[in-house]
Amino acid sequence: MRIIVCLKPVPDPKHWSQLRLDPKTKTLIRGDIPSIINPLDRKALEAALQLREREGGEVVVLSMAPPNVIPVLREALAMGADRSILLSDAAFAGSDTLATAYIISAAIRKIFPFEFVLCGDQTLDGSTGQVSAQIAEFLDIPNLMHVSAIETHPECGYRVRSQIEHGNMWVKVKPPVALSVTKEINEPRYITLMNILEGERKTIENWSSKDLLLTEPWVGLKGSPSQMAEMFIPEAKRRLEMLSGVPSEMGKRLADRLHRLGYC
Amino acid sequence: MDFKLSEREELLRKTVREFAEKEITPRMDAMEETGDFPVDLLKKMGEMGILGVIIPAEYGGNGLGNLARIIVLEELGRVCPAIPMALQVHHMCTHAINAFGSEEQKKKYLPRLAKGETMGVAAITDPSGGSDVAGMKTSAKLEGDKYILNGRKCFITNSHASDIWVVVGRTGEAGAKGLSAFIVEGNFPGAKLGRRENKVGLRGAITGELIFQNCEVPKANLLGHEGEGMNIAIRNIVETGRPGMASVGLGILNAVLEQAVRFANERVLYGKPISTLQMIQVHIAEIYSDLEIARLLTYRVGWMRDQNIRCEAESALAKQFTCEAAARSARKAIEIHGSYGIMKEYAVQRLLRDALVTIPAGGTAEVGKLAMARHAVNMFKS
Amino acid sequence: MVESNIWVFAEQRQGRLADVGLELLGKGLEIAAPIGWKVAAVLLGHSLSELAEELLIYGAHEVLVADHPLLSSYCNQSYARILKNAIRKHHPEIFLSGATAMGTDLSARLAAKLRTGLSAHCIGLELSSERKLLAVVPGWGGNVLAKIYCPTTQPQVATVMPGVFEKPQRSNPRGKIIPVDVNIKPEDVTYQVLEIEKREIQEDTLEKSEVIVAGGWGIGNREEWHWVEEVASVLNGAVGATRPPVDEGWAKEGQMIGQSGRTVHPKLYIGVAISGQMHHMVGIRNAETVVAINQDPQAPIFEFCDIGLVGDYKEILPPFIEAVKRYSA
Repeated sequence: MRIIVCLKPVPDPKHWSQLRLDPKTKTLIRGDIPSIINPLDRKALEAALQLREREGGEVVVLSMAPPNVIPVLREALAMGADRSILLSDAAFAGSDTLATAYIISAAIRKIFPFEFVLCGDQTLDGSTGQVSAQIAEFLDIPNLMHVSAIETHPECGYRVRSQIEHGNMWVKVKPPVALSVTKEINEPRYITLMNILEGERKTIENWSSKDLLLTEPWVGLKGSPSQMAEMFIPEAKRRLEMLSGVPSEMGKRLADRLHRLGYC
Repeated sequence: MDFKLSEREELLRKTVREFAEKEITPRMDAMEETGDFPVDLLKKMGEMGILGVIIPAEYGGNGLGNLARIIVLEELGRVCPAIPMALQVHHMCTHAINAFGSEEQKKKYLPRLAKGETMGVAAITDPSGGSDVAGMKTSAKLEGDKYILNGRKCFITNSHASDIWVVVGRTGEAGAKGLSAFIVEGNFPGAKLGRRENKVGLRGAITGELIFQNCEVPKANLLGHEGEGMNIAIRNIVETGRPGMASVGLGILNAVLEQAVRFANERVLYGKPISTLQMIQVHIAEIYSDLEIARLLTYRVGWMRDQNIRCEAESALAKQFTCEAAARSARKAIEIHGSYGIMKEYAVQRLLRDALVTIPAGGTAEVGKLAMARHAVNMFKS
Repeated sequence: MVESNIWVFAEQRQGRLADVGLELLGKGLEIAAPIGWKVAAVLLGHSLSELAEELLIYGAHEVLVADHPLLSSYCNQSYARILKNAIRKHHPEIFLSGATAMGTDLSARLAAKLRTGLSAHCIGLELSSERKLLAVVPGWGGNVLAKIYCPTTQPQVATVMPGVFEKPQRSNPRGKIIPVDVNIKPEDVTYQVLEIEKREIQEDTLEKSEVIVAGGWGIGNREEWHWVEEVASVLNGAVGATRPPVDEGWAKEGQMIGQSGRTVHPKLYIGVAISGQMHHMVGIRNAETVVAINQDPQAPIFEFCDIGLVGDYKEILPPFIEAVKRYSA
């Protein structure tokens, strides 16, 4: 079995107070903020490792990122991945989710065959939560999101628990399939000191656009349908919305607001 | 000279920090209450490799080394200083056996210590005085194929959680040349646990007494040669004990700075966080400089040890400076907290108590300064 | 012929329309009105005639219906294929859906199928002067907002957070129902839903609770503390408190939030009769939504809340609890 885990290095939230917005380029200046593995991607990697423990096979970590994220890939190898591949090229910069998914799917095509593509549901920074489904679309395979459990189903398939509002769906899927995982799926293992040494013995592969067959134009900033018109840091963090009316009206309106937000 | 940590060391720091925050934080209230070490965590610590960081791989450790050890202890200490206090003495036990033990002794004891089946102890201090190692009274008489030990060891960390004790006793003449070291198992006939101490700080590191009443130790458990005991004790302290204590102090300093800064950024007086007030900033700057200096001194000792460079003075300096700095910085942090600083709900008062305990533990400041003076006095002799 | 330029995905599961679809219908109608555009609600599933009528009552100009037994259970690939074919046939400018479990999944596949851009979890929608959709999306945990648009591809697809917009008023249906081509074979349904189960909301400890209702000194006395507990109970949440209620014995030590660094991370926090002193506010600053109820309009908590109610909690909470019970039924 081969499981591909898509991992995104994200700036460590402990240092986000150091982020600065560049008003001209409309981008966030990241400076020297160290990167961590996106927490949900780490859970995806843990899920992959657990699958490998149950059924054998190979876990391949794939990351589309700038070249300075080697420590993050090394960490994935230390956690137990068999291979770590960095997809890096100046041409990829500025990719929106469509371009990102396209590029990653082109890389995955080079790692055929596979049974699973696992990702975290969303990242800490972009938090669009779209990439896994779009990768699946480009690969023409089924996908499920918000996965909180992956079980082996007796009739050679898999039983997957996917969260919906106020409940869970249990779904039967047959590989190859893409799954994106929620925080409830597992607690990732600790990397032990011995794991660190094992991770150092594995190599990190470097792929660029030359290594991929990119036939469609969805690459980089120019190839991204989504463009940013404006970026700004909102003034007050809280909405400070005061409800008005007599107390009984306020009570009912609050209940209505909470209902629409999904709390009742 | 490269002051950056390697990728390996950064990952090490990260993973131990995560382990400490998740596994140790929930145990701290109970530790403060009872003074007990969470022995059920030993197995997990063994699996993490924390216990075997200076044990070679062939004996069940990972041999990542002394600088790695310091980083491990620092990160654990950032969360709960009592933990590295206990672990550093465990490491002292593993170091003594690894550096001076026979192949059989290493094969027999090191894997158990690496896995966390039990904790290790380094029992040097007699009631006659830890600062006067050469004057110790605990005796060890060879009778047939056994050594018979008589005496007491006090202020021994991990005493009541340990079955493997490295003990130094007198086999020969008075003075340093008459001492020898032994590996004593807690279940040897005549070996007993004595009182448990009730410390004001570093609660969670057990401190107690070991009692030997005609304790029978097989000849095979002599560590090194007869007469080597003083050398073993001193090297154990210099190479492992002092850097270990310094790491505990480093952990405290990290915690102190974090507590002080967080509080200062949140506490509002005169309409602004007090971190904007200059006098508070002076306190914070001083704590910051203590932390940075302590870290450089301590890491240097780890590096020197990994290069096999002698470091008596440097190691004494790291221990003495760091523990003193931890105490004075904790005091400043308490003042930053105002009246909240002396309330038990806030961590800073515990950090001060923890720091105070590190000052005499593992060697008093006075003895440390004698070591530094010995080195400095020889620097400019004509 | 379908005339609508704005299509709204009318999410339904097991015969129930999701509110967010109606909210987007409302927003769509609001955007469309000044420029003479029409808005269609798009419905997929099986046995949909009642739901289609509902959507007309909520004001949709057109309701596009794909009704087929193989669509009775949601499957993203088959739904996306049908939507793509309809979109390519009728060329809407804008396609909106709720940022729900279904909506995010479906829109992501659909946008990829259409090779167009998707703006996710929007908290605002505007139309530019060139009649392009400007989507306001949060990033970096909500610390940054961006306006996203798609200059070159069609349609512009966006998913919107539930509760941002208002449902339209119900009125006499004036629009029409238009069936959509459904070309589906059993093998197009690529996964099989085995069962749907209810999920228990976690509320064992304060630190894990998704909903926290906290009471303060302003509750007044022990006899009235039950209001805090009732609100917590009816929302499946945990009870919290500031220091004074704990000192008075109305609440337990373990329920105290804020003192000595105890921090919580609920999705919803409601502070009842809490003034909002530093310790407590620091403890709850990670809450996603903060609701404050206090008699004193100058209470500091009103500077740190998302929704504030100035008034006597004894008058606000009874009707509130009533209304919540009705929704939960």
